[in-house]
Amino acid sequence: MQKRRVNVSLWVGAVLVMLLIVLGIIGPYIAPYDLEHQEKVRNVEVNGKTVIISPPLSPSSEHWLGTDKWGYDLLTKLLHGAPYTVFVTMLAAVARLLIGTIIGLYIGIQDKPQKWWLSIENAWGYMPLFLPVYFLLVGLNRNSELAIGTLVLLFIGLVALLGAPSVASSIRQKTEQIKETQYVLAAVSLGAGREQIIFRHVLPQLKEQLVLIAVTEMISIMALMGLLGMFDLFVGGTYVTYDPVIYHSVTNEWAGLLGSYRGFVYGNNAWIFMIPLAAFIIAIGSFSLLAKGLRDRFQETYQRTPFI
Amino acid sequence: MSYIRQLIGMFFLVVIVCGGPYMLYVEKEEVHFAPERVVTYTVYLLQQIGEGSLGTYYSGNDERSIAEDIVPFAINSFELMFYSVLIAVLASLLFGLFLQRFAFVRYFQKLLNLLSTIPDFVLIFLSILAAIQFYKWTNIRIITLSPTSDSSNMWFPLTMLAIGPTIFLMKVISLKYGQIGGEDYIKTALAKGMGIWHILVHHVYKNVKPFLLADLKKTIAITVANLFIVEYLLNVVGLTRFIFSKNGIYQFNAAVMGLMGIILLSILVYLLIRAILYLFEQIAVYK
Repeated sequence: MQKRRVNVSLWVGAVLVMLLIVLGIIGPYIAPYDLEHQEKVRNVEVNGKTVIISPPLSPSSEHWLGTDKWGYDLLTKLLHGAPYTVFVTMLAAVARLLIGTIIGLYIGIQDKPQKWWLSIENAWGYMPLFLPVYFLLVGLNRNSELAIGTLVLLFIGLVALLGAPSVASSIRQKTEQIKETQYVLAAVSLGAGREQIIFRHVLPQLKEQLVLIAVTEMISIMALMGLLGMFDLFVGGTYVTYDPVIYHSVTNEWAGLLGSYRGFVYGNNAWIFMIPLAAFIIAIGSFSLLAKGLRDRFQETYQRTPFI
Repeated sequence: MSYIRQLIGMFFLVVIVCGGPYMLYVEKEEVHFAPERVVTYTVYLLQQIGEGSLGTYYSGNDERSIAEDIVPFAINSFELMFYSVLIAVLASLLFGLFLQRFAFVRYFQKLLNLLSTIPDFVLIFLSILAAIQFYKWTNIRIITLSPTSDSSNMWFPLTMLAIGPTIFLMKVISLKYGQIGGEDYIKTALAKGMGIWHILVHHVYKNVKPFLLADLKKTIAITVANLFIVEYLLNVVGLTRFIFSKNGIYQFNAAVMGLMGIILLSILVYLLIRAILYLFEQIAVYK
């Protein structure tokens, strides 16, 4: 008997994602400073000499992750941004999954292949998603009159809607496969209607697939958010100061911080960029681990090994 | 005829995507949706094309003609795209198919799979950081971000651009390799005592090819998506400059021209890669 191996990625991924969710809930409350707290230039006496201390302050016991160029504590910013990063990602993925599943199920259950939908799926598959999202939001997002909540909801809605065709595509293909099975045929001959087949026969077969799609969509949405951040479009609003032109993230969402601080990569204070980068990589990495774990778990045990 | 129809369809898709900033706007704290505003801009654009010019765009404070700049920009973008897709196809055929049976190649693939979990733009930043660190330690400059420097610095953006499509295509091909390698006709061929290269070329490659061609389009789509990031972050002057100008205002004409140019370039790249594959088959497979 082969001993069943422990699925390390699944466990580590699940624990990390749980931690992220907890961080998203309690983050703003455990932040060490207020969001407005700013370190100013000051004189400090060290060993009898006066030393001028000016931000950015490197990581120390007072500021665990240091401060940015304007003296704001980075850990505080990250903790305040955590809810947006984690929950926007999850909500958008779930919304995308919902829309995509409904479309995919109803298109897939049709007797004939729906040509109009196939052409949409086909054309949209080649479009880099960040382009339409960027173009639609760029006019609204900068120094916006809208509330943060409205902007976030708008973002979630747009990302869900524009990303739905790819989800619908995989659900449709699976539905078309299941539609051909004997038990669906039996159900049809017993007089089952369309809804009956979808909800009693097709959907239960898709359960594992749906969980996996949700997690992989979270990864792609997080990457999308990071990408939009590179082009100075931050989730929940971009606050632009002119002369010099600097883009700030209103919500301190991690991808936004990453985009906002990307100029520091070339300077001597590279940690200002590396810390949001590390947070972002950890977040996306935990979702990737979870996805890998789930995929390993769902993979069919029957696998042929190649002869060559 | 159907090609022309597809091209026109593409043009309208581009117009709709590029018209995004005009479609949604905020007035008195309310979001308005006005797709009709795009029509005026499109009519103006078509008028200009009808007059034989492509219009002008602003680069900084200079008003420049799109028609003058589009060719050199397109050449830069084309070089980047074509070589990256070529690298992706060659590398994935070599490591995913012909050398797959060696253990070190499989370890190399595992490494690439690990890399693929990190989004491409993060990889670009990590390699910039690595290059800076390398310069600090050894005083050897391996990257230059100045757009005015000579074109011999193209290799860094090229490498960055090639990573994404290579990872994708190699995954597809090694997956298919695993499936086809388990087929009975491979077993038969082995039992007959045919050479391993013969089997790889005549049995495996021929069966992998349809999947390679089907995913070539997706590979090019990934390359295009990454082209935006690479050109933007590494200061390469290419077609995406028309769409995302740094600190510039959004310009509809330039964006439509840039996006159309990129689409036409990707079709060209696709055809060229098909031609190269055809040549390869004539030389190696059907001697």
